[in-house]
Amino acid sequence: MATTRRNFLRLLGGASAALAARLDGPPAFAQAGPVKIGVLAAKAGVTAPVGESGLRGTQFAVDRINAAGGILGRRIELVVEEESNPKDTVERFRKLALQTRVDVITGVVSTGVGLAIGPVAEELKTLWLAWDATTQKGVEETMPKPRYSFRSVDNEAEAVMASILTAKHFKGKIKTVAGINNDYSYGRDNWAAFLAIMKKLGMGVTPVVDLWPKLGETNFTSHVAALGQARPDLIFCSFWSGDAPILMKQAHAAGLTATIRFVMTTAGGVHESLKKAFTPEGMILGYNSMYFEAPNASPLLREFVRWHQERFKEWPNYESDHAYFTLAAYRAAVEKAARAAGGKWPSPDQIIEALEGMEVESLSGKRSYRADHIMECSFFQGLSTYRNKHDFVTVDPLEVMSTRQIQKPSGLGLYEWINSWKA
Amino acid sequence: MLGGVFHAAVLFLAAAGLQLVFGVQKILNLACGSFYALGAYFGVSLVTWALGAGVPPSLFLGVLILGGVLLAVIGPPVERLLRTISDRDESFQLLLTFALVLMFEDVIRFLWGTAPHQLGSVYLLYGQLKVGALTIPVYNLVVIAAGATIAAAVGWLLTRTRFGRLVRAAAENPRMAEALGIDLARLYSRVFTLGVALGTVGGALVIPATAAVNEMGIELIVEAFAVVVIGGLGSMRGAFAGALIVGVLKAVAIATYPEVEMLAIYVIVIAVLVLRPAGLFARAAA
Repeated sequence: MATTRRNFLRLLGGASAALAARLDGPPAFAQAGPVKIGVLAAKAGVTAPVGESGLRGTQFAVDRINAAGGILGRRIELVVEEESNPKDTVERFRKLALQTRVDVITGVVSTGVGLAIGPVAEELKTLWLAWDATTQKGVEETMPKPRYSFRSVDNEAEAVMASILTAKHFKGKIKTVAGINNDYSYGRDNWAAFLAIMKKLGMGVTPVVDLWPKLGETNFTSHVAALGQARPDLIFCSFWSGDAPILMKQAHAAGLTATIRFVMTTAGGVHESLKKAFTPEGMILGYNSMYFEAPNASPLLREFVRWHQERFKEWPNYESDHAYFTLAAYRAAVEKAARAAGGKWPSPDQIIEALEGMEVESLSGKRSYRADHIMECSFFQGLSTYRNKHDFVTVDPLEVMSTRQIQKPSGLGLYEWINSWKA
Repeated sequence: MLGGVFHAAVLFLAAAGLQLVFGVQKILNLACGSFYALGAYFGVSLVTWALGAGVPPSLFLGVLILGGVLLAVIGPPVERLLRTISDRDESFQLLLTFALVLMFEDVIRFLWGTAPHQLGSVYLLYGQLKVGALTIPVYNLVVIAAGATIAAAVGWLLTRTRFGRLVRAAAENPRMAEALGIDLARLYSRVFTLGVALGTVGGALVIPATAAVNEMGIELIVEAFAVVVIGGLGSMRGAFAGALIVGVLKAVAIATYPEVEMLAIYVIVIAVLVLRPAGLFARAAA
């Protein structure tokens, strides 16, 4: 981990060395020079680990693509800018589009930032392939029919899958539920989706307490006391950052993990920090759209996990795969559109058309973009277990669901869709 | 309730560092939150290293406190830097100390990366206490006891020792103190280092119960300021009372009406600002 920046400089150095090398030979393509790809990645604050993970997936993808000769013979040059607050990030997006004149921009994790960038991508006619940043409420209102934005999966997909698994594993065993979720749209939406699905699936559960710590809270002793007092049969939690292990640790210390079932929809984002010492077995644990230790992992995932472990001494998480997919899809779309355009480098419009419906092999398996520019992929959750070689929990059995099952289809509202399920 | 007191103990240590430095040097040091975060990260590394080197796990508390104290070596150089603007407008101090916060964030990211760091299992090493249906980790009680002990020790240091008399003299009237032969530069350096140590020890003490994340410093500053406003800027007793009020109030809010968890604290802050603008203990400087 201490080498983050150094690796990054190496990456940039590699990119510029590649550029220098390119200048020696004749341009293989009419469009000379490297393909410039702008990346907006968080480097500070709560989203920094997620941004870091996305950068690693980006680095892996670029290394592979460049090693294979680039995109249509043009090597990729990365231009990394920071994702911070919406206003500044929009400025950096503009800079990448207008000044650096990149071919495509990837990245962005926070929904707030994503909502601000959506209209700007349309205005500048700049292709933006988002890593994440898609809590539904705002997206439905401000980015109804984007042309230049390609968006990630619905943020509620993990809550939908976890709710279905809750019904599968715990039906009849739970009567009362409690929620502890961060006090912003993601946390609120996840808890609301969970309750709606509990009702739809006839679970007959009563919510006894819902707690709303702010994002970034590092002390949950009072929350844990309140949960202990309410004594629910199940605690639903959508934490995805450093607060997840802190909550588990303090809940375990207060004796909650012994008697109460847990659902952690997204804590797989910080899976290495969920140590066996304080994380119970049998808890529903979600890894979002990539699971590093999938039993039937593809050779590509195995290669990435090995590369990641050797380089960073860590096991990777899902944001790497979002990032990898955006680049793999872009490359495939450019090549497909070029074939249709008689071998010429395609225009942005041609690339957009090729991206719609584009399916490529990503780290987690096949992934695609729907016609409405939303990702389709698989989600990975399961019951936590100690049966592994690590000091943290993994899941077994692993359950895999496609976003075709757990993400609302194009044109339907989330609750409209949930209510349309057949019991 | 006890959860609230636990939180209060940690808050007190950070706020006490802020109060001490402001009380004596009139520097509003935002970087107190960074010292807390640095203490936490350093504590994780030191304990992990110590356990690997064969130190018995039960001694981890000692290792953490030692780590916090050792880390206070960053105090003198930071104080030297801040001294350059000590007679400038307060906004300069805020800007410079905030710049320090950002720089320390980068230092942490560079040394420890962005993923959360934690001590896996030592939290429960001292066992759990069962009171009726409640289970309380003994370590929480240790932290509360440590906070109270440190509060008493600092109180004793300031009121009963020669060092404390010098500090109070310098806080009351620095020019006169200097005229009477007190080496202000040395005194300031020591006071600041003590303030840093309160923060780093606080961060080190809390780490077994939590995980070190980069933004923990900024989170703490916000609450520490609520403590300071309630207690009164520059007052040690104010820091103690303010931390207790904030910690317990938060716990009560979460237990009764979780929606107002954050609001409750700021309602008190506003009430204090309106009714007693100088804070509850403003007169009992340092």
